[in-house]
Amino acid sequence: MIQQIVAIIAKELRVLWRDRQALTLLFMMPVFFILVMSFALEGVFEAGSKGRPIGVLVVDEDKGALVEQTLADVRRLEGLTLIETIDGMTLTRERAEQLVQKGKYPLVLLFEKGFSERICKAPKDSTEEMATVQFVSDPATNVQLLASVKGAIRSVIERRAFLENLTHRLKKEFETSTAGLPALAKDLVNLSAGKRFDRILSGAPPEERGQAPVVFISTTPQGVRPGRRPTATEQNVPAYTIFGVFFIVLTLASSFIQEKKDGTFQRLLAAPLPPIALLLGKLFPYYLVNLIQIVLMFAVGVIFFGIKLGSLPALIVVSLALAAAANGLGLLVAALGKTEAQVDGFSVLLAITLAALGGMMVPTFIMPDVMKTISLFTPHAWALAGYHDIIIRGLGLRQVVFEAEVLLGFACLFFVLALWRFRFTE
Amino acid sequence: MRPESMVTIENLRKCYGETEAVKGLDLEIFRGEFFGLLGPNGAGKTTTFGILTGLIEPTEGHISINGFDLLLRPRKLKARMGFVPQSFAFYPTLTARENAAFFGRIYGLRGRSLTDRIHVVLETVGLKDRSEQQVATFSNGMKRRLNLALGLLHEPDLLILDEPTVGVDTQSRNAILESLEALNRSGVTVLYATHYIEEAQRFCHRVAILDYGKLIALDTPGVLIQKFGRSLIRIEFQEVSDETLLREMERFGSVRVLDDQKRKIHLETDHTENALKSLLALREGRGVLFKTFDIVEPNLETVFVHLTGRSLRD
Repeated sequence: MIQQIVAIIAKELRVLWRDRQALTLLFMMPVFFILVMSFALEGVFEAGSKGRPIGVLVVDEDKGALVEQTLADVRRLEGLTLIETIDGMTLTRERAEQLVQKGKYPLVLLFEKGFSERICKAPKDSTEEMATVQFVSDPATNVQLLASVKGAIRSVIERRAFLENLTHRLKKEFETSTAGLPALAKDLVNLSAGKRFDRILSGAPPEERGQAPVVFISTTPQGVRPGRRPTATEQNVPAYTIFGVFFIVLTLASSFIQEKKDGTFQRLLAAPLPPIALLLGKLFPYYLVNLIQIVLMFAVGVIFFGIKLGSLPALIVVSLALAAAANGLGLLVAALGKTEAQVDGFSVLLAITLAALGGMMVPTFIMPDVMKTISLFTPHAWALAGYHDIIIRGLGLRQVVFEAEVLLGFACLFFVLALWRFRFTE
Repeated sequence: MRPESMVTIENLRKCYGETEAVKGLDLEIFRGEFFGLLGPNGAGKTTTFGILTGLIEPTEGHISINGFDLLLRPRKLKARMGFVPQSFAFYPTLTARENAAFFGRIYGLRGRSLTDRIHVVLETVGLKDRSEQQVATFSNGMKRRLNLALGLLHEPDLLILDEPTVGVDTQSRNAILESLEALNRSGVTVLYATHYIEEAQRFCHRVAILDYGKLIALDTPGVLIQKFGRSLIRIEFQEVSDETLLREMERFGSVRVLDDQKRKIHLETDHTENALKSLLALREGRGVLFKTFDIVEPNLETVFVHLTGRSLRD
C-alpha cells in the first residue's frame, strides 16, 4: 500500500510541476500579499508617526511674525510635516484646496489675514474680532485620523495665541492699573500679575486660564459639499462595490476556460457565427451582472444606511466605465490562463492585490508615496476616486468625466491585450 | 457518370511552428458519400476537420465545398455543414432540450421549426424521453448521442464527425451508427474520422488513410484490403528472440519487430495456413515458447500495419 501512496504522491507532484504557472501562483500569491498588504497597511499603523509623518499644507495669508512662531511650535509635533511650498512656490488658498480636493493631501492649515494683529487685540469674549484659523480638509479623509491631527495642531495654536494675547492684556492692564502710582506700588502690582501669569503657565484649569482668542473653522475645498463628514457606509459601499465588481474576473475567465475545454466554442465557431458575435454575446451577461451588482450594493447603502448617492448621471457613467474595465480584465485573464487552476489563482490574486493597491482596504493618502503612485495604475483607485467625488464630495457628471475616461482607458487596454492573446480553442 | 463533388481539398498544409500537422493533402469527397478518414492519433484528422469547419486557418491549400471556396464564403458554407466534435460540446447544466434550442438558434432556427427540429433530432438519437433532463446526469453514451443530435438540428448537407463513438457502450454506438447510416441514405454526405476499423469497414463507401499528416491510401475498404491487406500473425515470445529465429520466420512472410527486446513480432503473410504450420514446427524444433499468439484476417487494420508498420492504436 505504501508503494501505491508513494506512486500517487509522485504523480501528483509531477502534475503540479507540469502546471508551472499555477504552481508559481501558489507561491507568489502569499509573497505578493505580504508585500502589498504590508506596504499598504504601513500607512494605517504608522501614519502620523515619526517615520511616516502626515503632510499638512500651510497657507499663510497673515504673513505676521506670530504665524512664524506658531508654525515653529507646530513643527515640533511628532508625526506631522508642514508643507509651505510646492515646486518652489508658496502655497495659496486655491492651490492648496486643489491639492486637497485631488486627495493628494488630507489637510490645509490656513492662517487668515490679520491673525497676528487680532491675537494681540482680541477681546476675550468677542468672536467677531478674533483671529481665525481654517482647517480645510477633504471630506473623504478618514475622520479619526483627521480629528487627532487637527486636535494636536489646534492645541499648539491655542497655547501660542493665548500666551501672546495674555502678554498683551497683562501689559495693558498693568499700564492702566499702575498709572499715577508710586514706584513701590507699581512693583507690588507687578508681583501679583507675575504670580497669576506663572500659575497659568504652569497648567491651571481652563476655566481659570480663559479661552485662547482664536476661532477654528473646519471647512472643505471650494465646490466640495461642505458641512458633512462621510459615514462608514459612504466610505465602504463604493469600496466594496468596486471590490465585488472585480470578482467578475474569476467568473468570466473560468467560464471562457470551461467553454474552451468542453469544445463548445469549437462547435459554435463551426456554425455560421462571427467570432466577434460570440465574444460580445459571451461578455454582455457579465457586464450586466456587474451593473446589477453595483445597483444592488448602492441600494443596500441607500435602504439600510440612508446614504445620499449624489448625481445619478455621474454615478451611472462611472459605473458603466468600471464594469467595462472589470470585464476587460476578465477577458485578459481568460486569454492568458491555460488551465482552470491558473485562472482561479490569477483572478483571486488580481482581485485582492488590485483592491489593496487601489485603496479599497487602506485609503491611498496614508500609503507611502511609491504605493500612492502604484495605485494610479489600478482601475480601482480611479473608480473609488469617482465614487468619492460623487457621494462624499457632492460633485457632478462634469467633474467625474476624467475618472470615467481613465476607467475606459483601462478597459480598452485590457480588451486590446486580451484580443491579441485570446484563442477560442485550446 | 462521374459523381458530383461535395468537398475538394487541394494541397492542404498546416504547420504549427516546425511541426507540419497536415502535409499537402489532396482529397475529393462526393455528394452522398459516407467517407471515412482513418488514422491513429496525431495523423492529422482533427486538424483537417478543424480547417474544414473554419476553426483553423490552413498554412497553404484550397478547399471548396459544394463548389464554393471555403475561405471566401465561410458563413454560407458553414450554414449547410454540421459538425460533431470529439468532445462533449454542450452545456452540462442545461437540459437536452435547452442545449438543442440554443444551438438551433445559433443556426437561425426559430419558433415552430425549431421546436419541430428539436423533437426530430432528439427522437433520432433516442433521447426524446430525456429531453427535460439535465445533461450532467446523462451517461457517456447518452452524451455522445446528444452530441450527434446537436449537429443535425439544421439539417446539414454535409455532416462532419470527429470520433463520434469514442468511449461509448455498444448500445449507444449502434444507435449512433444506425442514425448516421439512415442520414446518409437520406442524402447527407458524411465525413467521418475514426480509428475504429470495424466502423470504417462497415459504413464507409471510401476510406482515406492518414499517417503523420499524409494521405497514404485512398479507396473503398474492399479494394484497400484486397490491395494491401495481408493476414497478420501477432506473436509475443516468452523470451528474447535471436536473429537466427527472426531470419527463419522471414521465410513465412515479412517480419516486423515491435520492441527493443525482440519479443513482440508481427508477421504479415498471404499464406496464413502454411505460416502457422511452419511456426508450430519451429516452436517444437527450437523449443520456442509463445506468450501470446493471434491471427488477424485481412482488414483495414492490417492494411494500415502493412502501409506504416504500426498499429492504428499505437
